[in-house]
Amino acid sequence: MTTPTISPTTSPESPELAAAPRAPVAMATRVPVRTPAALLVLLGVSLALIEVALWWIAARTPSDIVLGLSQKIFYFHVGSAFAMLLCLTSASFLSLADLLRPDDRADALAQSLLEVGVIFALCILTSGPLWARKAWGMYWTWEPRLTLTLLVTLLAVSVIALRAMSADSGTGRRVGAAMAVMGAPASYLIHVAVKWWGGTHPQVIQGGGIQNADMRIAFWLAVFGLLTFAAALTATRYRDLRLKQRGRAIRLNLSAHQLRQRRA
Amino acid sequence: MTVARITWLLLKKDLRIAARSREMLGFTLLFAVLCVIVFAFGFLQEGAATAGYVPGVLWVTLLFSSSVSLLRLFAPEEEGGTLDLVSSTAAGTLPLFISKATMQLLFTGLVTVVVLPLVLLFFNTELKGFGQTAAALGLGLVGMATVGTLCSALLVHVRLREVLLPLVLYPTVAPLLISGVKVTSIALAEGEGTGDWLTLMLIFDLLFVVASPWLHGRALQR
Repeated sequence: MTTPTISPTTSPESPELAAAPRAPVAMATRVPVRTPAALLVLLGVSLALIEVALWWIAARTPSDIVLGLSQKIFYFHVGSAFAMLLCLTSASFLSLADLLRPDDRADALAQSLLEVGVIFALCILTSGPLWARKAWGMYWTWEPRLTLTLLVTLLAVSVIALRAMSADSGTGRRVGAAMAVMGAPASYLIHVAVKWWGGTHPQVIQGGGIQNADMRIAFWLAVFGLLTFAAALTATRYRDLRLKQRGRAIRLNLSAHQLRQRRA
Repeated sequence: MTVARITWLLLKKDLRIAARSREMLGFTLLFAVLCVIVFAFGFLQEGAATAGYVPGVLWVTLLFSSSVSLLRLFAPEEEGGTLDLVSSTAAGTLPLFISKATMQLLFTGLVTVVVLPLVLLFFNTELKGFGQTAAALGLGLVGMATVGTLCSALLVHVRLREVLLPLVLYPTVAPLLISGVKVTSIALAEGEGTGDWLTLMLIFDLLFVVASPWLHGRALQR
Protein backbone atom coordinates (compact mmCIF):
# COMPACT_ATOMS: atom_id res chain seq x y z
CA MET A 1 0.00 0.00 0.00
CA THR A 2 2.88 2.32 0.66
CA THR A 3 4.64 1.93 -2.65
CA PRO A 4 6.16 5.26 -3.61
CA THR A 5 4.14 6.83 -6.34
CA ILE A 6 4.73 10.01 -8.16
CA SER A 7 1.87 12.35 -7.52
CA PRO A 8 1.04 14.71 -10.36
CA THR A 9 0.99 17.74 -8.12
CA THR A 10 4.43 17.43 -6.54
CA SER A 11 6.59 16.05 -9.33
CA PRO A 12 8.01 18.89 -11.38
CA GLU A 13 8.28 17.69 -14.91
CA SER A 14 11.68 18.54 -16.39
CA PRO A 15 11.52 20.68 -19.51
CA GLU A 16 13.18 17.91 -21.49
CA LEU A 17 10.52 15.41 -20.43
CA ALA A 18 7.76 17.88 -21.22
CA ALA A 19 9.17 18.40 -24.66
CA ALA A 20 9.35 14.67 -25.40
CA PRO A 21 6.77 13.38 -27.86
CA ARG A 22 3.90 11.28 -26.56
CA ALA A 23 4.80 8.15 -28.53
CA PRO A 24 6.93 5.60 -26.63
CA VAL A 25 9.47 5.12 -29.42
CA ALA A 26 11.54 7.92 -30.86
CA MET A 27 10.28 8.95 -34.23
CA ALA A 28 12.14 12.23 -34.41
CA THR A 29 15.52 10.83 -35.32
CA ARG A 30 15.44 8.02 -37.80
CA VAL A 31 18.90 6.67 -38.42
CA PRO A 32 19.41 3.36 -40.22
CA VAL A 33 21.07 0.91 -37.85
CA ARG A 34 22.61 -1.14 -40.63
CA THR A 35 25.67 0.37 -42.32
CA PRO A 36 24.50 1.93 -45.60
CA ALA A 37 26.01 0.40 -48.74
CA ALA A 38 26.93 3.88 -50.02
CA LEU A 39 29.27 4.37 -47.08
CA LEU A 40 31.06 1.09 -47.78
CA VAL A 41 31.37 2.01 -51.45
CA LEU A 42 32.81 5.42 -50.53
CA LEU A 43 35.33 3.79 -48.22
CA GLY A 44 36.27 1.26 -50.91
CA VAL A 45 36.72 3.95 -53.55
CA SER A 46 38.87 6.07 -51.26
CA LEU A 47 41.11 3.17 -50.29
CA ALA A 48 41.45 2.15 -53.95
CA LEU A 49 42.37 5.71 -54.93
CA ILE A 50 44.97 5.87 -52.18
CA GLU A 51 46.40 2.50 -53.28
CA VAL A 52 46.71 3.65 -56.89
CA ALA A 53 48.20 6.96 -55.76
CA LEU A 54 50.80 5.12 -53.67
CA TRP A 55 51.70 2.89 -56.62
CA TRP A 56 51.87 5.87 -58.97
CA ILE A 57 54.10 7.80 -56.57
CA ALA A 58 56.40 4.83 -56.05
CA ALA A 59 56.60 3.52 -59.61
CA ARG A 60 55.81 6.31 -62.04
CA THR A 61 56.84 9.68 -60.63
CA PRO A 62 60.46 10.76 -61.14
CA SER A 63 62.66 11.75 -58.22
CA ASP A 64 63.12 15.44 -57.64
CA ILE A 65 66.49 16.74 -58.85
CA VAL A 66 67.17 18.76 -55.74
CA LEU A 67 65.20 17.04 -52.99
CA GLY A 68 65.43 13.44 -54.18
CA LEU A 69 63.10 10.90 -52.60
CA SER A 70 61.94 13.20 -49.81
CA GLN A 71 59.94 15.25 -52.30
CA LYS A 72 57.50 12.34 -52.60
CA ILE A 73 56.04 13.21 -49.22
CA PHE A 74 54.52 16.23 -50.96
CA TYR A 75 51.61 14.28 -52.50
CA PHE A 76 50.08 13.11 -49.25
CA HIS A 77 51.15 16.21 -47.34
CA VAL A 78 49.24 18.61 -49.61
CA GLY A 79 46.33 16.19 -49.90
CA SER A 80 46.02 16.11 -46.10
CA ALA A 81 46.21 19.91 -46.01
CA PHE A 82 43.29 20.16 -48.45
CA ALA A 83 41.30 17.69 -46.37
CA MET A 84 42.06 19.52 -43.11
CA LEU A 85 41.13 22.94 -44.47
CA LEU A 86 37.91 21.63 -45.95
CA CYS A 87 36.93 19.76 -42.77
CA LEU A 88 37.67 22.57 -40.32
CA THR A 89 36.12 25.32 -42.45
CA SER A 90 32.91 23.39 -42.96
CA ALA A 91 32.83 22.47 -39.26
CA SER A 92 32.93 26.17 -38.44
CA PHE A 93 30.13 27.06 -40.85
CA LEU A 94 27.97 24.14 -39.68
CA SER A 95 28.48 25.25 -36.07
CA LEU A 96 27.29 28.72 -37.04
CA ALA A 97 24.24 27.16 -38.68
CA ASP A 98 23.57 25.13 -35.54
CA LEU A 99 23.86 28.23 -33.34
CA LEU A 100 21.47 30.20 -35.56
CA ARG A 101 18.97 27.37 -35.81
CA PRO A 102 19.56 24.29 -33.65
CA ASP A 103 19.68 21.18 -35.77
CA ASP A 104 20.90 17.79 -34.54
CA ARG A 105 22.26 16.88 -37.97
CA ALA A 106 24.32 20.06 -38.34
CA ASP A 107 25.68 19.53 -34.84
CA ALA A 108 26.67 15.90 -35.44
CA LEU A 109 28.23 16.72 -38.81
CA ALA A 110 30.18 19.68 -37.39
CA GLN A 111 31.53 17.52 -34.59
CA SER A 112 32.56 14.74 -36.99
CA LEU A 113 34.25 17.17 -39.36
CA LEU A 114 36.14 18.77 -36.49
CA GLU A 115 37.51 15.42 -35.34
CA VAL A 116 38.45 14.27 -38.83
CA GLY A 117 40.08 17.66 -39.45
CA VAL A 118 42.29 17.13 -36.41
CA ILE A 119 43.36 13.69 -37.70
CA PHE A 120 44.50 15.23 -41.00
CA ALA A 121 46.15 18.12 -39.16
CA LEU A 122 48.23 15.54 -37.28
CA CYS A 123 49.17 13.97 -40.62
CA ILE A 124 50.39 17.37 -41.86
CA LEU A 125 52.26 18.10 -38.67
CA THR A 126 54.04 14.74 -38.96
CA SER A 127 54.85 14.69 -42.67
CA GLY A 128 55.79 18.39 -42.85
CA PRO A 129 58.69 18.34 -40.37
CA LEU A 130 60.02 15.09 -41.89
CA TRP A 131 60.22 16.81 -45.25
CA ALA A 132 61.53 20.05 -43.76
CA ARG A 133 64.46 18.22 -42.13
CA LYS A 134 65.65 17.21 -45.61
CA ALA A 135 64.77 20.40 -47.46
CA TRP A 136 65.43 23.14 -44.93
CA GLY A 137 67.81 21.27 -42.62
CA MET A 138 65.54 21.52 -39.59
CA TYR A 139 62.35 19.93 -38.38
CA TRP A 140 60.55 23.08 -37.39
CA THR A 141 60.64 26.77 -38.25
CA TRP A 142 58.21 29.48 -37.28
CA GLU A 143 57.15 29.78 -40.84
CA PRO A 144 53.60 31.10 -41.56
CA ARG A 145 51.84 27.93 -42.65
CA LEU A 146 53.48 25.80 -39.97
CA THR A 147 52.54 28.26 -37.26
CA LEU A 148 49.00 28.55 -38.59
CA THR A 149 48.52 24.78 -38.81
CA LEU A 150 49.83 24.30 -35.29
CA LEU A 151 47.62 27.01 -33.78
CA VAL A 152 44.52 25.92 -35.69
CA THR A 153 45.09 22.32 -34.60
CA LEU A 154 45.39 23.42 -30.98
CA LEU A 155 42.17 25.41 -31.29
CA ALA A 156 40.30 22.48 -32.83
CA VAL A 157 41.60 20.10 -30.15
CA SER A 158 40.54 22.49 -27.40
CA VAL A 159 37.04 22.81 -28.88
CA ILE A 160 36.73 19.01 -28.82
CA ALA A 161 38.09 18.92 -25.25
CA LEU A 162 35.74 21.70 -24.18
CA ARG A 163 32.79 19.74 -25.40
CA ALA A 164 33.89 16.55 -23.72
CA MET A 165 34.35 18.39 -20.41
CA SER A 166 30.96 20.12 -20.38
CA ALA A 167 28.58 19.41 -17.54
CA ASP A 168 25.56 18.68 -19.74
CA SER A 169 25.37 17.95 -23.43
CA GLY A 170 23.12 20.91 -24.27
CA THR A 171 25.52 23.50 -22.87
CA GLY A 172 28.52 21.67 -24.27
CA ARG A 173 26.98 21.67 -27.69
CA ARG A 174 26.31 25.43 -27.74
CA VAL A 175 29.60 26.34 -26.08
CA GLY A 176 31.55 24.13 -28.49
CA ALA A 177 29.68 25.59 -31.45
CA ALA A 178 30.39 29.16 -30.31
CA MET A 179 34.08 28.31 -29.97
CA ALA A 180 34.16 26.68 -33.40
CA VAL A 181 32.55 29.78 -34.90
CA MET A 182 35.07 32.02 -33.15
CA GLY A 183 37.88 29.86 -34.48
CA ALA A 184 37.24 30.79 -38.13
CA PRO A 185 37.95 34.57 -38.00
CA ALA A 186 40.68 33.95 -35.44
CA SER A 187 42.38 31.50 -37.82
CA TYR A 188 42.16 33.99 -40.64
CA LEU A 189 43.81 36.71 -38.55
CA ILE A 190 46.47 34.26 -37.37
CA HIS A 191 47.08 33.55 -41.05
CA VAL A 192 47.57 37.26 -41.81
CA ALA A 193 49.76 37.87 -38.77
CA VAL A 194 52.10 34.97 -39.36
CA LYS A 195 52.30 35.77 -43.07
CA TRP A 196 53.57 39.28 -42.34
CA TRP A 197 56.06 37.68 -40.03
CA GLY A 198 57.73 36.35 -43.16
CA GLY A 199 58.52 32.82 -44.22
CA THR A 200 59.79 30.36 -46.78
CA HIS A 201 57.08 27.79 -47.41
CA PRO A 202 57.23 26.41 -50.97
CA GLN A 203 54.35 27.69 -53.09
CA VAL A 204 53.83 24.90 -55.58
CA ILE A 205 50.15 25.25 -56.29
CA GLN A 206 49.93 29.05 -56.33
CA GLY A 207 53.32 29.22 -58.07
CA GLY A 208 54.20 27.59 -61.36
CA GLY A 209 52.24 24.40 -60.72
CA ILE A 210 53.47 20.87 -61.33
CA GLN A 211 55.27 20.52 -64.66
CA ASN A 212 55.71 16.74 -64.88
CA ALA A 213 52.59 14.88 -66.09
CA ASP A 214 53.19 11.79 -63.88
CA MET A 215 53.67 14.01 -60.86
CA ARG A 216 50.43 15.81 -61.66
CA ILE A 217 48.50 12.54 -61.93
CA ALA A 218 49.99 11.26 -58.68
CA PHE A 219 49.14 14.54 -56.99
CA TRP A 220 45.48 14.53 -58.00
CA LEU A 221 45.13 10.82 -57.21
CA ALA A 222 46.45 11.47 -53.72
CA VAL A 223 44.24 14.54 -53.26
CA PHE A 224 41.06 12.78 -54.34
CA GLY A 225 42.00 9.65 -52.43
CA LEU A 226 42.49 11.59 -49.21
CA LEU A 227 39.41 13.77 -49.71
CA THR A 228 37.17 10.74 -50.26
CA PHE A 229 38.83 9.04 -47.30
CA ALA A 230 38.08 12.12 -45.19
CA ALA A 231 34.48 11.99 -46.40
CA ALA A 232 34.24 8.28 -45.49
CA LEU A 233 35.68 8.90 -42.01
CA THR A 234 33.34 11.83 -41.47
CA ALA A 235 30.34 9.83 -42.61
CA THR A 236 31.27 6.97 -40.27
CA ARG A 237 31.62 9.27 -37.27
CA TYR A 238 28.48 11.14 -38.27
CA ARG A 239 26.49 7.92 -38.30
CA ASP A 240 27.92 7.00 -34.93
CA LEU A 241 26.90 10.35 -33.44
CA ARG A 242 23.45 10.20 -35.03
CA LEU A 243 22.90 6.71 -33.59
CA LYS A 244 23.91 8.07 -30.18
CA GLN A 245 21.42 10.93 -30.58
CA ARG A 246 18.75 8.41 -31.49
CA GLY A 247 19.60 6.27 -28.50
CA ARG A 248 19.29 9.29 -26.22
CA ALA A 249 15.95 10.25 -27.74
CA ILE A 250 14.60 6.72 -27.29
CA ARG A 251 15.73 6.60 -23.65
CA LEU A 252 14.16 9.99 -22.97
CA ASN A 253 10.88 9.11 -24.63
CA LEU A 254 10.74 5.80 -22.83
CA SER A 255 11.19 7.37 -19.42
CA ALA A 256 8.62 10.04 -20.28
CA HIS A 257 6.21 7.31 -21.33
CA GLN A 258 6.78 5.31 -18.13
CA LEU A 259 6.24 8.42 -16.04
CA ARG A 260 2.94 9.14 -17.75
CA GLN A 261 1.79 5.52 -17.38
CA ARG A 262 2.53 5.54 -13.67
CA ARG A 263 0.53 8.71 -13.29
CA ALA A 264 -2.45 7.46 -15.27
CA MET B 1 15.80 49.71 -18.17
CA THR B 2 18.19 50.27 -20.97
CA VAL B 3 21.32 48.24 -21.72
CA ALA B 4 23.50 51.08 -20.47
CA ARG B 5 21.65 51.34 -17.17
CA ILE B 6 21.74 47.61 -16.41
CA THR B 7 25.37 47.42 -17.49
CA TRP B 8 26.24 50.27 -15.14
CA LEU B 9 24.41 48.57 -12.27
CA LEU B 10 26.24 45.28 -12.84
CA LEU B 11 29.57 47.05 -13.26
CA LYS B 12 28.99 49.07 -10.10
CA LYS B 13 28.31 45.86 -8.21
CA ASP B 14 31.53 44.25 -9.49
CA LEU B 15 33.54 47.38 -8.72
CA ARG B 16 32.15 47.44 -5.19
CA ILE B 17 33.01 43.78 -4.67
CA ALA B 18 36.51 44.41 -6.01
CA ALA B 19 36.93 47.47 -3.80
CA ARG B 20 35.78 45.68 -0.65
CA SER B 21 37.85 42.55 -1.17
CA ARG B 22 41.10 43.81 -2.55
CA GLU B 23 42.76 40.37 -2.58
CA MET B 24 42.04 39.56 -6.19
CA LEU B 25 43.65 42.70 -7.60
CA GLY B 26 46.53 42.40 -5.15
CA PHE B 27 47.23 38.79 -5.98
CA THR B 28 47.00 39.41 -9.72
CA LEU B 29 49.49 42.26 -9.44
CA LEU B 30 51.77 40.11 -7.32
CA PHE B 31 51.54 37.34 -9.88
CA ALA B 32 52.46 39.75 -12.68
CA VAL B 33 55.46 41.06 -10.77
CA LEU B 34 56.63 37.50 -10.04
CA CYS B 35 56.17 36.65 -13.70
CA VAL B 36 58.52 39.48 -14.73
CA ILE B 37 61.09 38.41 -12.13
CA VAL B 38 60.98 34.79 -13.28
CA PHE B 39 61.42 35.90 -16.89
CA ALA B 40 64.36 38.06 -15.86
CA PHE B 41 65.97 34.97 -14.26
CA GLY B 42 65.25 32.95 -17.35
CA PHE B 43 66.82 35.45 -19.72
CA LEU B 44 69.84 36.48 -17.63
CA GLN B 45 72.95 36.67 -19.77
CA GLU B 46 76.33 37.60 -18.29
CA GLY B 47 74.76 39.05 -15.21
CA ALA B 48 72.36 41.35 -17.03
CA ALA B 49 68.93 40.81 -18.48
CA THR B 50 68.98 41.49 -22.21
CA ALA B 51 66.96 44.40 -23.56
CA GLY B 52 65.89 42.47 -26.64
CA TYR B 53 63.53 40.37 -24.53
CA VAL B 54 61.51 43.35 -23.26
CA PRO B 55 58.60 43.16 -25.77
CA GLY B 56 58.19 39.41 -25.32
CA VAL B 57 58.37 39.51 -21.52
CA LEU B 58 55.90 42.41 -21.39
CA TRP B 59 53.26 40.80 -23.58
CA VAL B 60 53.55 37.28 -22.22
CA THR B 61 53.32 38.61 -18.65
CA LEU B 62 50.16 40.53 -19.60
CA LEU B 63 48.68 37.42 -21.22
CA PHE B 64 49.47 35.23 -18.20
CA SER B 65 48.13 37.66 -15.63
CA SER B 66 45.01 38.30 -17.68
CA SER B 67 44.26 34.57 -17.66
CA VAL B 68 44.69 34.56 -13.88
CA SER B 69 42.05 37.24 -13.43
CA LEU B 70 39.82 35.70 -16.11
CA LEU B 71 39.52 32.52 -14.07
CA ARG B 72 37.95 34.55 -11.27
CA LEU B 73 35.91 36.91 -13.46
CA PHE B 74 32.60 35.13 -12.94
CA ALA B 75 33.40 33.97 -9.40
CA PRO B 76 30.98 36.37 -7.58
CA GLU B 77 28.06 35.09 -9.66
CA GLU B 78 29.04 31.45 -9.32
CA GLU B 79 29.54 31.62 -5.57
CA GLY B 80 26.31 33.53 -5.10
CA GLY B 81 24.47 31.28 -7.57
CA THR B 82 23.18 34.31 -9.42
CA LEU B 83 24.56 33.62 -12.86
CA ASP B 84 21.16 32.78 -14.34
CA LEU B 85 19.66 35.90 -12.82
CA VAL B 86 22.21 38.34 -14.16
CA SER B 87 22.13 36.63 -17.57
CA SER B 88 18.36 37.00 -17.90
CA THR B 89 17.96 40.74 -17.58
CA ALA B 90 15.46 42.72 -19.62
CA ALA B 91 18.27 43.43 -22.09
CA GLY B 92 19.43 39.80 -22.31
CA THR B 93 23.01 38.75 -21.70
CA LEU B 94 24.54 41.86 -23.25
CA PRO B 95 24.86 43.93 -20.04
CA LEU B 96 26.56 41.04 -18.27
CA PHE B 97 29.07 40.67 -21.08
CA ILE B 98 29.86 44.38 -21.31
CA SER B 99 30.23 44.79 -17.55
CA LYS B 100 32.50 41.76 -17.22
CA ALA B 101 34.64 42.76 -20.20
CA THR B 102 35.01 46.28 -18.78
CA MET B 103 35.95 44.80 -15.41
CA GLN B 104 38.60 42.63 -17.05
CA LEU B 105 39.89 45.61 -19.04
CA LEU B 106 40.23 47.68 -15.85
CA PHE B 107 42.06 44.82 -14.14
CA THR B 108 44.55 44.24 -16.95
CA GLY B 109 44.97 48.01 -17.43
CA LEU B 110 46.06 48.35 -13.82
CA VAL B 111 48.41 45.39 -14.21
CA THR B 112 49.92 47.02 -17.30
CA VAL B 113 50.55 50.28 -15.48
CA VAL B 114 52.56 48.35 -12.89
CA VAL B 115 54.26 45.87 -15.22
CA LEU B 116 55.49 48.21 -17.97
CA PRO B 117 57.83 50.31 -15.79
CA LEU B 118 58.95 47.20 -13.97
CA VAL B 119 59.97 45.37 -17.14
CA LEU B 120 61.86 48.45 -18.38
CA LEU B 121 63.58 48.74 -15.02
CA PHE B 122 64.59 45.09 -14.69
CA PHE B 123 65.79 44.84 -18.28
CA ASN B 124 67.63 48.19 -18.23
CA THR B 125 65.71 49.62 -21.14
CA GLU B 126 64.72 53.17 -21.95
CA LEU B 127 61.18 53.76 -23.09
CA LYS B 128 61.14 55.06 -26.64
CA GLY B 129 58.24 55.42 -29.04
CA PHE B 130 55.75 55.65 -26.20
CA GLY B 131 52.81 56.52 -28.47
CA GLN B 132 53.13 53.37 -30.56
CA THR B 133 53.60 51.14 -27.53
CA ALA B 134 50.63 52.71 -25.78
CA ALA B 135 48.45 52.26 -28.87
CA ALA B 136 49.49 48.60 -29.16
CA LEU B 137 48.88 48.00 -25.45
CA GLY B 138 45.46 49.66 -25.63
CA LEU B 139 44.34 47.65 -28.64
CA GLY B 140 45.88 44.48 -27.26
CA LEU B 141 44.19 44.80 -23.87
CA VAL B 142 40.77 45.50 -25.41
CA GLY B 143 41.08 42.46 -27.66
CA MET B 144 42.35 40.18 -24.91
CA ALA B 145 39.64 41.34 -22.50
CA THR B 146 36.88 40.76 -25.08
CA VAL B 147 38.00 37.33 -26.23
CA GLY B 148 38.98 36.42 -22.67
CA THR B 149 35.58 37.34 -21.29
CA LEU B 150 33.91 35.25 -23.99
CA CYS B 151 36.12 32.24 -23.21
CA SER B 152 35.65 32.67 -19.47
CA ALA B 153 31.86 32.95 -19.84
CA LEU B 154 31.66 29.90 -22.09
CA LEU B 155 33.79 27.86 -19.72
CA VAL B 156 31.67 28.56 -16.63
CA HIS B 157 29.84 25.23 -16.93
CA VAL B 158 32.86 23.23 -18.03
CA ARG B 159 35.00 20.92 -15.92
CA LEU B 160 38.79 21.46 -15.79
CA ARG B 161 38.31 24.98 -17.10
CA GLU B 162 41.49 26.22 -15.41
CA VAL B 163 43.37 24.03 -17.87
CA LEU B 164 41.07 24.64 -20.80
CA LEU B 165 41.03 28.44 -20.64
CA PRO B 166 44.63 28.92 -21.84
CA LEU B 167 44.09 26.20 -24.44
CA VAL B 168 41.29 28.19 -26.02
CA LEU B 169 42.52 31.70 -25.29
CA TYR B 170 46.16 31.61 -26.31
CA PRO B 171 45.79 30.39 -29.92
CA THR B 172 42.89 32.81 -30.45
CA VAL B 173 44.76 35.90 -29.26
CA ALA B 174 47.96 34.86 -31.07
CA PRO B 175 47.50 37.62 -33.70
CA LEU B 176 47.37 40.24 -30.91
CA LEU B 177 50.43 38.80 -29.23
CA ILE B 178 52.45 38.65 -32.45
CA SER B 179 51.45 42.18 -33.52
CA GLY B 180 51.91 43.58 -30.01
CA VAL B 181 55.43 42.18 -29.66
CA LYS B 182 56.26 43.41 -33.15
CA VAL B 183 54.99 46.95 -32.52
CA THR B 184 56.72 47.20 -29.15
CA SER B 185 60.06 46.02 -30.50
CA ILE B 186 59.83 48.43 -33.45
CA ALA B 187 58.88 51.27 -31.10
CA LEU B 188 61.74 50.54 -28.68
CA ALA B 189 64.19 50.55 -31.59
CA GLU B 190 62.66 53.83 -32.81
CA GLY B 191 61.83 52.20 -36.12
CA GLU B 192 59.12 52.75 -38.70
CA GLY B 193 56.29 50.65 -40.02
CA THR B 194 54.02 49.89 -37.07
CA GLY B 195 50.93 51.06 -38.98
CA ASP B 196 50.04 47.72 -40.59
CA TRP B 197 50.41 45.84 -37.34
CA LEU B 198 48.26 48.32 -35.44
CA THR B 199 45.62 48.06 -38.19
CA LEU B 200 45.63 44.28 -37.82
CA MET B 201 45.07 44.66 -34.06
CA LEU B 202 42.26 47.14 -34.71
CA ILE B 203 40.55 44.74 -37.12
CA PHE B 204 40.87 41.94 -34.58
CA ASP B 205 39.31 44.16 -31.90
CA LEU B 206 36.45 45.38 -34.09
CA LEU B 207 35.66 41.84 -35.19
CA PHE B 208 35.58 40.37 -31.71
CA VAL B 209 33.92 43.34 -30.01
CA VAL B 210 30.97 42.67 -32.32
CA ALA B 211 31.15 38.87 -32.46
CA SER B 212 31.87 38.01 -28.81
CA PRO B 213 28.70 39.42 -27.15
CA TRP B 214 26.62 37.83 -29.88
CA LEU B 215 28.28 34.41 -29.48
CA HIS B 216 27.98 34.75 -25.69
CA GLY B 217 24.24 35.41 -25.95
CA ARG B 218 23.73 32.58 -28.43
CA ALA B 219 25.73 30.02 -26.50
CA LEU B 220 24.23 30.72 -23.08
CA GLN B 221 20.59 31.12 -24.02
CA ARG B 222 18.22 28.91 -22.11
